[in-house]
Amino acid sequence: MKFFETSYSFNSSWDATTLACWRKYPNDKTPHVKHVEILSRELDPTTGILKTERLIIVSQNVPRIITKMVGAQEQAYVLEYSEVDPSSKTLTLRSTNLTMKNFLAVTEHITYTPLESDPEKTIFKQNAVLSADGMMSRFATLIEDYSLKVFKANAIVGKLGFEQVLERILSEQRAQVPL
Amino acid sequence: MESISSECTPLKEEYEKCFNKWYSEKFLKGDKEDACKELFIKYRKCISSTLESTGLSKTINNARPHIGSGFTEENK
Repeated sequence: MKFFETSYSFNSSWDATTLACWRKYPNDKTPHVKHVEILSRELDPTTGILKTERLIIVSQNVPRIITKMVGAQEQAYVLEYSEVDPSSKTLTLRSTNLTMKNFLAVTEHITYTPLESDPEKTIFKQNAVLSADGMMSRFATLIEDYSLKVFKANAIVGKLGFEQVLERILSEQRAQVPL
Repeated sequence: MESISSECTPLKEEYEKCFNKWYSEKFLKGDKEDACKELFIKYRKCISSTLESTGLSKTINNARPHIGSGFTEENK
């Protein structure tokens, strides 16, 4: 089992940052993300919490030896569930892979909250667990190490793409505010 | 972004446009009424047969508890 954890702050309000989550794709930094479909969405009328389920379709970029071992699949599917609580200003996203699960299970947990001391900043926290439990142990470590490397690389390009979208949102908002 | 069923892309774009505007201008300001529900239903209906053809519905159902989702087949 391997763990990944990171956090940083964005120089943008929680409102703008969470909007960027919905507008993140497409961006030219993450061409591996092919489609994002909204499976379910529900607004709880009593709590005001917005619940969303999305299916993320990603093109595979795994070594041939691995696709041969587990059976080739061109596309990987990820299920994401999120809750936005506008009163406490919290966005929580959890996701898990739906394909190649017997080979490697990846679960990810992300939160966006405003920085208490400066509401014009937003704290992003991400953690992920990767586990190839179904594999023989000597392969498991190999697969987990490789997958962690891929996960980290995707996290970096994901952040770049996110920042690109966020910058677009902020400039749209600046254009709307009369000087 | 293109939908997995390309014929549903216009419906998806129309819905997302509505949602993004509603999210910033209404929802974040405390509005508890989903103004884009009709457009969502149309888009969701459009992609349903393609989704079914992926054969993932059982896998999705099994994965839901692991990510805290209380959604079921019925309330999509």
